[in-house]
Amino acid sequence: MKVRKDGGLTAAQSVVLILAVPVTAVIALGIGRISIPMNDVLSVLLGKITGNMTVAALTEKTIWNLRVPRILLAILVGAGLSTAGCSFQSLFANPLATPDTLGVASGASFGAALGILLGLPFTGVQCLSMAMGLAAVGLTWLAGSGRGRGLGQIVLAGIMIGSLFSALVSFTKFAADTENQLPSITYWLMGGLDKAGFRGLLIGGAPVIIGIAVLWLLRWKLNLLPLSDDEARSSGVNIVRLRIVTVVCATMITASCVSMCGQVGWVGLLIPHMCRMLFGGSHLALIPACISIGAVFMVIVDTAARSMTAAEIPVSILTAMVGAPFFIILMRRSGGWQY
Amino acid sequence: MAVLNIAVEKGCFSYPKGPQILQDISFEAGSGEILAILGPNGAGKTTLLRCLTGMLHWGSGRACLDGEDIRSIPERTLWSRMAYVPQARSASQVYTVFQTVLLGRSSRIGGFSKPGEEDLEAASRVLGMLGISHLADKPCSQISGGELQMVLIARALASGPEVLILDEPESNLDFRNQLVVLDTISLLAQQGMTCIFNTHYPEHALQRAHRSLLLAKGGEAISGPTTSIVTKENIRKAFGVNAVIGEIETPGQTLRSVVPMSLAEGCAQQEEQTGKRRVIASMTIIADSNDTAQQINEILHRYNRLLIGRMGMPHRGCGLYLINVSMDGPEADILEAGHLLGLLPGVRVKTVTAQIEDTQTQNR
Repeated sequence: MKVRKDGGLTAAQSVVLILAVPVTAVIALGIGRISIPMNDVLSVLLGKITGNMTVAALTEKTIWNLRVPRILLAILVGAGLSTAGCSFQSLFANPLATPDTLGVASGASFGAALGILLGLPFTGVQCLSMAMGLAAVGLTWLAGSGRGRGLGQIVLAGIMIGSLFSALVSFTKFAADTENQLPSITYWLMGGLDKAGFRGLLIGGAPVIIGIAVLWLLRWKLNLLPLSDDEARSSGVNIVRLRIVTVVCATMITASCVSMCGQVGWVGLLIPHMCRMLFGGSHLALIPACISIGAVFMVIVDTAARSMTAAEIPVSILTAMVGAPFFIILMRRSGGWQY
Repeated sequence: MAVLNIAVEKGCFSYPKGPQILQDISFEAGSGEILAILGPNGAGKTTLLRCLTGMLHWGSGRACLDGEDIRSIPERTLWSRMAYVPQARSASQVYTVFQTVLLGRSSRIGGFSKPGEEDLEAASRVLGMLGISHLADKPCSQISGGELQMVLIARALASGPEVLILDEPESNLDFRNQLVVLDTISLLAQQGMTCIFNTHYPEHALQRAHRSLLLAKGGEAISGPTTSIVTKENIRKAFGVNAVIGEIETPGQTLRSVVPMSLAEGCAQQEEQTGKRRVIASMTIIADSNDTAQQINEILHRYNRLLIGRMGMPHRGCGLYLINVSMDGPEADILEAGHLLGLLPGVRVKTVTAQIEDTQTQNR
C-alpha cells in the first residue's frame, strides 16, 4: 500500500484505521450466544450516555456488563501487544522478536500461577502477575546490560530469564493441587478474555494506555531504533534513553496484558509483520497501524472464540489458527519484508 | 587560508586491557579542506574517526570543534554541526531513501515531534543536490551500493553540518561510483565544508586531499600537507610496501597515482632525500574563471618566497586565464604548491622541474 513520502499514513488510510476499531467493536457487541440486533446495541450505548434506557434489562446486562468490558479488553490487548511487539522487533532489529523476548510474559505467568497457588483473589493474582512480569525484565536487564555489551546479549539474557520463569511456572503447577488449582492455572495460562470486568480493566488498562500513548508520541523517533549503533548515535538523539523508554513502555504493556488475560500468543508477532508488509518500515505509519489493526484483529478473534461453539475456545488457539495462514498468504503476496 | 575548525590534540586511545591503538595523534583541518586518513587494515582508522566524533572516548588528549572540546558540546548541538557517514555495509536498509535521508534531520527535531515542512524540504533539497531525487521512494534494500553510499551522504548532509566525516566512502564501489563519491566530497569542500575521510587508496588522497594523515600499525601517525605525507618512504613504513608514485600525463593535467610494487622486506633501503633537493620549476596554470584565478593568486602568495618570475593574463573571449610562474626552492614545497593549485575546481596545472646541481631536466 502506498504511504506518504515521509513514511506516514495518508489521510484516507488514517480515517479507515481510526473508524475500523469502533465499527468492529459495535458489530462484535451484537454477536454472541445471544444474538442482539444492531438497533438494540446502539440503544444500549445511547442509553448509557443519555441515562434513558429503552431496551430490556437482560439485553442491557449482556451488552454492558459482559460484552463491553470484554471488547474493551480485546481492544487494549490487541493494540498493546501489537505495539509492544513492533517496538521490540525494531529495537532488536530482529523479525523474530516478540513482546516476550525479554521474559516479561513468562514472569507474568509465574506471578499469576503463584497467585492462584496462594489462593489470592482475582485482583491479587493480577497485581502479582504484573509485578513478576516487571521483575523478570528487571532481571534480564541486570543480567544482560553493561558497558560494552550489545543488545544481542540482552536478548540472550531474556531467553535465559524467560526459561527460568517457565521452569518456575512448571514448578508451581507441580506443587498445585490437581483438583482445583492445576486446572485453573492451566486455563489461565492458555489465555482468554473471559476474565474481563470493569475493575480488572481499571487496574490493568492504565499501564497499557500509557505505554501505547508514549510509543505513539515517540513514533518518529522509533525509526532510529533499527539503525546500527554508530548511525543511531550520530543522529544526535540520546539513543540509550530512547531504548530504555521503549523497553519500559513495551514491558508495562505486556505485563499488564498478560496479567489481565494470560498468554495471548502470536498477536505481538503477527500484527506488526502484517503492518510492515502493508505500510512499510516507518513507525510514523507502523505504530498507528499496529494499534488499530491489532485491536480489530483481537476483537474479531475473541468474538469468534466466544461465539463459534457452545464452549468457549481459548483465544490463543484461535489467534494462531486464524493468524498463521493469513500471515503466510500476505507474506507470499507482498514479497515479505526484510531488515 | 581556510578557517581551522577541527583539531585533535595529542589524542591517545586503547581499549580496556588492550594495546595502544592510537598514540599522540594531532591534526587539524579547516573549512573548505579535505583531510584524508590513510593506513593499513587494523591501524585504527575507524577508531580514530569514532574518537574524533566523541563516540569513543580518548584515553588522553582531545578533539575540538572551533576550539571547544567535542565532549563538552551537547550531543544535539554537536550532531547538527557535524555529520557522520558510516561504512555502507554497516548501514541499515529498512526504510525508503527519502525516509532514510529524513532521519538525518533527527538532531533538529525535538522530543515528541515529527518532521515538519522545513525538514521535508531539506531532505528533498539534499537529494536534488546529489542528483538522486529519482530514488526517493525506493527502499534502500533495492538500490545499488553506489546509490546507497550517496543516500548515506545525503542523510548526513540533511542536518546542514559544517564538518562531514566519512568512513571509507569509496570502498567497494566501482570506478564510476568512486568518482561520483569523490567528486561529491570535492564539491562539498568547495562550498566551504570540512571533509574528513578514511581511505584505502593513497591516490585518492593525492588527487583530492589538501591534508593527509597516515596511521601506522601501533598507533603512530604523521600528518601534514598531502604531498609531504603520501611519499614512497612513508608508504613503505606504514604499509610495508615498496611503491612508486607515478604521474600519468593527460592533455589537461598530470595525475598522480600510487602503484604498489612489492612487499618491503626487513631492512629499509637507503632513503632518498628527494624532497629537500633544490630545483627550479616552470609551472603552467590554466583556470576557467575569475574566482579561481583569485584563489590561485592567494595560494601563490603563500609561496611567494619560491617565486622568481610570474606572468598572468586573461584570455578574453573564452573566459580562460593563463598563468605561468617560475620557482626556485626545495622540491617538496614546489610539489605542494602544484598539488594545492590542482585541487582547485577547473584548474589545470603542469610543472616542469630541473635540479640545480646537475642540469638534467626531468618532467615532474
